[in-house]
Amino acid sequence: MPAQLRTGAAANCVMLIAIQTEEKACRSPGRLAVRVNIMDQHHHHFEVGGAHLSRLEDLRLIKGEGCYAADWTLPNQAHAAFLRADRAHARIVSINTDAARKAKGVLGVFTGADAVKAGYVKPLSFLTFAGKDGKKANIPERPVLTGDRVRFVGDLVALVVAESALQAQDALELIEIEYEDLPAVVSPRATLKAGAPQLHDNVPGNLAFEQEAGDAAAVEAAFAKAAHVTKLRLDVTRVAPNPMEPRACAVTFDAGSGKFTIHSPVQGINMMRMQLAAYTGVADDKIEVVSRDVGGGFGQRSIAYPEYVALMLAAKSLGRPVKWVSSRSEGFMSDSHGRANYIDGELALDKDGTFLGMRIDWIADLGAYLHPAGPVSPMRNPVTCLNGVYKTQALFGRWRVVLTNTAPVSAYRGAARPEIAFAIERLVDEAAAQMKIDPAEIRRRNFIPTDAFPYKTPTGSVYDIADFHGVLDKAMKLADVAGFAKRRSESEKRGMLRGIGFSTVIENSGAGMFPKDEVRLEVHADGTLTAYSVSHSQGQGHETTFAQIIGDGLGIPAERVKLRQGIGEQGLIGNHTGGSRTIVGAGTVCHIAAKKLVEVATPIAAEQLGVEPSQVTYDKGEFKSAAANKKISLGELAAKKPLTVTGEGKFGSTFPNGCHVAELEIDPQTGVTEVVSYVTVDDCGTVINHTIVEGQMHGAVAQGWGQIFGENVVYDSDTGQLLSGSFMDYTMPKAGWIKDIQIAEHTTFGTISPLGVKGMGESGCTASLAALTNAVMNALRPLGVPPLDMPLTAHKLWQAISAAKKGK
Amino acid sequence: MAKINLTVNGEKRSADVEDRTLLANFLRDELNLTGTHVGCDTSQCGACTVHVDGRAVKSCTMLVAQAEGCEVVTIEGLAKNGKLHPAQAAFTECHALQCGFCTPGMIMTTAALIKNHPAPTDEQIVHGLEGNLCRCTGYLNIVKAVKRAAELQGK
Ligand code: FES
Ligand code: FES
Repeated sequence: MPAQLRTGAAANCVMLIAIQTEEKACRSPGRLAVRVNIMDQHHHHFEVGGAHLSRLEDLRLIKGEGCYAADWTLPNQAHAAFLRADRAHARIVSINTDAARKAKGVLGVFTGADAVKAGYVKPLSFLTFAGKDGKKANIPERPVLTGDRVRFVGDLVALVVAESALQAQDALELIEIEYEDLPAVVSPRATLKAGAPQLHDNVPGNLAFEQEAGDAAAVEAAFAKAAHVTKLRLDVTRVAPNPMEPRACAVTFDAGSGKFTIHSPVQGINMMRMQLAAYTGVADDKIEVVSRDVGGGFGQRSIAYPEYVALMLAAKSLGRPVKWVSSRSEGFMSDSHGRANYIDGELALDKDGTFLGMRIDWIADLGAYLHPAGPVSPMRNPVTCLNGVYKTQALFGRWRVVLTNTAPVSAYRGAARPEIAFAIERLVDEAAAQMKIDPAEIRRRNFIPTDAFPYKTPTGSVYDIADFHGVLDKAMKLADVAGFAKRRSESEKRGMLRGIGFSTVIENSGAGMFPKDEVRLEVHADGTLTAYSVSHSQGQGHETTFAQIIGDGLGIPAERVKLRQGIGEQGLIGNHTGGSRTIVGAGTVCHIAAKKLVEVATPIAAEQLGVEPSQVTYDKGEFKSAAANKKISLGELAAKKPLTVTGEGKFGSTFPNGCHVAELEIDPQTGVTEVVSYVTVDDCGTVINHTIVEGQMHGAVAQGWGQIFGENVVYDSDTGQLLSGSFMDYTMPKAGWIKDIQIAEHTTFGTISPLGVKGMGESGCTASLAALTNAVMNALRPLGVPPLDMPLTAHKLWQAISAAKKGK
Repeated sequence: MAKINLTVNGEKRSADVEDRTLLANFLRDELNLTGTHVGCDTSQCGACTVHVDGRAVKSCTMLVAQAEGCEVVTIEGLAKNGKLHPAQAAFTECHALQCGFCTPGMIMTTAALIKNHPAPTDEQIVHGLEGNLCRCTGYLNIVKAVKRAAELQGK
């Protein structure tokens, strides 16, 4: 039934499409919320008290009553600390833990030998598909405490458990290790060279996987007849996701039932449990994952880290709950890093600037080991949107997954969507500049036309619906692109370099890896509802958005719906929060569940009212029978009989898209950049809550901004030491960096969800990397500055400007 | 071991603690006031901000022994008689929190900021927030919330 509903809605919305622009002032003064309504009977406005509803989760969080992972205190808990490698690559000759074991308060010390004995050596990998020539990936083992070799600074060597955290930390210092140093390699290109230090015996040449996609011959032909070819190196640096809540985990083991309970911050309990089960060989139903408030995620929380598994080992062996709270310094070393994709790109154009073909060569640096989903994002997402928003027909790429003596890499907000968008949009912009074509015009010439949807791309994706021209036009208007030349000459008079940059991007969302998404609704006698979902908020505000959708579906105030996530005993199936998909998956299922609740409750209400179900109507929380002049509310019904339904749905890919325009000034004396205007126009489908959507955009753009202007994880190229290991050496965006973002919407009604939603958590990252870089290059190009690599720090820009001036 | 006496959220507390115990850990582990968060180990993030004798202080950077005889207020003690502090009210009104992890520190910093600057300028706000990191919001709504908090305080 849900499937039918979906198809029906999709069909209707394609047929009934009519675009009407409606401009209205948004809550914040001076800001414009511009929206396009696709008029059809399935369109939801979510206006009733909802478009800007304050968040329902806020109250406990502003009062300090949240429950984050480090806040758990379990009866009789012991505390853990990890000894980590202080070098990038070495053989462990010997470990002596005698003194540590005798230290005050110490309950146990565990090393690689214990991990190997327990068989906790092989993490799950989702990189199971075949690559080039049908070859599967070479996946290295990773004992949860490393055996005889350390492979990156921060690699886990030993675990100490003591009565207090300080005692555990003190005892770490008593462990003696003799290392035999090995040469290290941290550069993703150097690691592929002959003679490079080798990380794992089963990964020859440090190449774990290789794949190709697209049509090599067609691309060859396109380049052969091109009037112009633009080539760029497009390295997307390694960054630290750094959610503000450090990782933490507390594990209990119940010997009677053989069950582990893991308290840790997650993006979804099922994803965590699946990985823990695979790592340990413990059955799924013997692992319960518990999570409440999660202090940011951005991809970093979806991994079952070896620390968590090592704690399982300790909890079981000691018969005590064991808790570990990471320090930020440990986090910089050992939390998953993001991006680290190193791309060479080429774009072929005819003399009018039509894109004939694109070729990319992509190296994904995954670090010293493969996180379960880490390599999958750069192998899958760029292929899905390889043509971007353009009708380019000939596309080809080669992707290589390489290993280096660095921290393992995994998804970070966007998970290779920002990287492919960056590559395409930088190529397009440079090509436009080289061919002296206006950057907006070259995009328009190549956009997939608005009447061409659904559009099948050369790599097999189906973009369901979009209006790229409309998105670009609106962004240009908001950014006053027409007035840019005047503003630039004013800047020149003040000795400043002014630039403007665009990006028009698309990304895949929606589809998930679990067989379906489920949401359970339970009605209580007081008329309130509890909703249960798997997809876990790490700040996205699910408690509000889901309550709005359910409230909308039932015609009751959102405040009457309380969402609970991370409740293992509900046994629900569902995806974790990631890939911007939650609104499409669990969000849509909230709607389906609300409809199902009315359907299921109607005959029960009829029985109570003593009439036929056909005589019962439902409105705003009440079932009525006009004939019998009687009514009964949802709450009253639940008081008589437990009232619970489970909605479910499975969804394919959606394609949120947008255009960002950045305008900035660079001071040639200092290289300091000030972004003077930043405009976003996005099509994320139906918007449930504008305030939350704007907040997501702010945060994601700030992360893109951070990456372009400062964030960078740096390892010493000789020693492999981590040089950016704290907030003192790693540039985090701060208050005042971004002064304003003008946000507007240009939405089309997505066809994958009956709500028309497409997802939007990551689009700010996807679009901002290229928009900001293009703006910097637009400012510097007239001086003859060649394309620069991120991060575009003041120092780098000043050097480039000085070099260009000297060269003239 | 050190014997310490201090007032936390209006209540007198005394305890025997290890000399090296940080104020943040004392509040969290001994008093179970887990609203004070610890987000770093280098005094940069401000998630641990509390008030000590009316001043915003990073509680991860102070020994509890240094708070001997002091009045400490944490996020749990900010609302009075069931009424939210203007900084708390402004943060939710302006959607200045997403995951909420930085929020207690941000709110404690804001409360001190608007006490010292009842009508803060943009520069004063940015300067005042310099020691607080947020990864979720991009700070735009936080800056807005500080202004709104000042307004609410004046009412
Ligand atoms: S925990 Fe105190 S500044 Fe980060
Ligand atoms: S709201 Fe998540 S860190 Fe600030």
